[in-house]
Amino acid sequence: MGKFNYNKEVLANLRLDEKDIPRLDRLIDYDSAREAHEKKNHAAIDKRISLKEAIAEYVKDGDILTDTGFSYVRTPIIAYFEILRQGIKGLTSIGSPATNQSYLIPFGTVTHTHWSYCGAEMRGTDRNMSRAVKAGKTKILAEWGHGSMALGFKAAQLGLPGVYSKQLLGSDLVKYNPFIKVLDNPMKTEKDPCVFIPALYPDVSIIHVHQADKFGNAKIYGPLVNDVAIAAATRKLIITAEEIVPPNTLRNDNKGVVIPFMYSDAVVELPYGALVGAMPGLYYWPRKLWEKIMRYWAFEEGAIDEFYDLFVVQCKDQYDIIDKVLGGSKWMVDAKRLTKAEEYDNEDEGVDFGYEEWTRNATDFEDIKDYK
Amino acid sequence: MTAKPANPLEMIAYVLANQIEDGEVVYIGTGLPMVAGILAKKTHAPNITMVYESGAQNPILGDMPWSVAGPYTWRKSPLILEMPYSFGQLANGYVDKAFLGYGQIDMYGNVNTHMIGSDFHNYKNRLTGSGGNNDLASLSKNLILVGLQSPQKFVKNVDFITSVGHLTGGNSRKEAGLVGRGPKAVITSAGVYDFDPESKRMRIQSLHPGVSPELAQLASGFELLKPAGELPVTPVPTKEVIDILRNEVDPRGVFTSMPS
Repeated sequence: MGKFNYNKEVLANLRLDEKDIPRLDRLIDYDSAREAHEKKNHAAIDKRISLKEAIAEYVKDGDILTDTGFSYVRTPIIAYFEILRQGIKGLTSIGSPATNQSYLIPFGTVTHTHWSYCGAEMRGTDRNMSRAVKAGKTKILAEWGHGSMALGFKAAQLGLPGVYSKQLLGSDLVKYNPFIKVLDNPMKTEKDPCVFIPALYPDVSIIHVHQADKFGNAKIYGPLVNDVAIAAATRKLIITAEEIVPPNTLRNDNKGVVIPFMYSDAVVELPYGALVGAMPGLYYWPRKLWEKIMRYWAFEEGAIDEFYDLFVVQCKDQYDIIDKVLGGSKWMVDAKRLTKAEEYDNEDEGVDFGYEEWTRNATDFEDIKDYK
Repeated sequence: MTAKPANPLEMIAYVLANQIEDGEVVYIGTGLPMVAGILAKKTHAPNITMVYESGAQNPILGDMPWSVAGPYTWRKSPLILEMPYSFGQLANGYVDKAFLGYGQIDMYGNVNTHMIGSDFHNYKNRLTGSGGNNDLASLSKNLILVGLQSPQKFVKNVDFITSVGHLTGGNSRKEAGLVGRGPKAVITSAGVYDFDPESKRMRIQSLHPGVSPELAQLASGFELLKPAGELPVTPVPTKEVIDILRNEVDPRGVFTSMPS
């Protein structure tokens, strides 16, 4: 008998077998997560290393990797590109949203998926992901909604075995999620169905932040999404930061400091680490680039190879992306102006948000220099 | 000079905006709900508060957000919550209306945003998955569904129940343990639908100008209930409202220009 009690019908619906069980187990295994947390060096020591070193040291074949940020906002995409570069294989990807899964699949990086949302809102659904799942290149381990997954991370942050909640009931997600149990509220005299959502413990998480100190205290501006919970839950945590500041800077202005140093295993100074997405307060979303991702690279069969070639092979880091793909210093200045104007930290009157949308009708399949 | 009449997407945005009453807290999904929320705030409902699933909420009004996590959704917000807390606002009864899209919808307002094709492993196409759809449908006080109407979208049985509406009708939603009142209205390119209070089946409330009951029925894979008597025609936006929509709410037509 295994350690956990999965619904056999759900395992059959998902076509999961014995080989998949350890991957399921590890996500909800409090004992091993607690052990990992206990074993970390709890002293405030200098944890700064390079991105290359951090990925090599902490991201291992077969790990459960969480997505963080929100799709294309404050997501550590530059670190994901490094995971691709290092050829790490067999990861389970979990996150909500999980917009960043599709390009990690064709190269064997991600082979198992927890699905909550995949797409870029009105920019389109991810056809590449749709094809990859159907072809068995990635196996869906569970279907989630944003709220139910968020509660799993939150329960882990609080050290709880799980939570009772009211979503998912009556839906088909319950038939395709081996972690969800429908149970009655034990306090009610009348029948009151609830779902029990277990605490979720990923193996490794990378969180991109605005500022960190060398110990791994970290400050975030803008939506936190699930990252405070994930930082506490995950067995291994890499912080990538736009800038490293002296510890006293965070003590003097602690607004937005949400991750305590003891969670962090590695601290990486990584300016523009959220490219090719956006970073609140610092740089705007390259909208045209995302249109091309959703409407071409992740749309046409095989085009994702070109994406890989451009962002992982031809570009060796974020500076290459800025210089070779986005348009260099002009893009940097525009991207800062646009986000600050939209946030209303800069005067927005007269700031032009217009740009030429990348459509499927575009004849220009070549790389465009102006991706604003 | 008269403005060009509203195109189908602008009409949906306008009708959706009219579902919002002043003073409400509204949970906004991506796309047309964003347009409707901002239009309502700029016209008849200046005192509404918009909440987004990223945890962003209560921005000062700006232009159209490109995404539910874009800066316009938290522009100078007094605070931004974590994702589970924003769903907690729904579950605790602080959100008056939530707006959601659908890939397919059935006569009880059950929604599919998962896949086209009923075989989980051999579908025709995967859609986005739940995102916040299941949470909003499960937890909100009132749910307003919005999308285009065709027999491919209005189906007898959805291929996957991402989000429960009125489940199998009658009292079944409550018996399943869900909270809130379930779907209140469906706004489409053809008309406005509500749900029969007893059977919880979808019912025509009004049809957009030029849409006959026969045409609406042709664009549905299930029987639409019709109330007795003459069916009302959905009011169309005035020139003033169309101007606000085109010039102030979605000036670049991000969500309200018809695909060419």
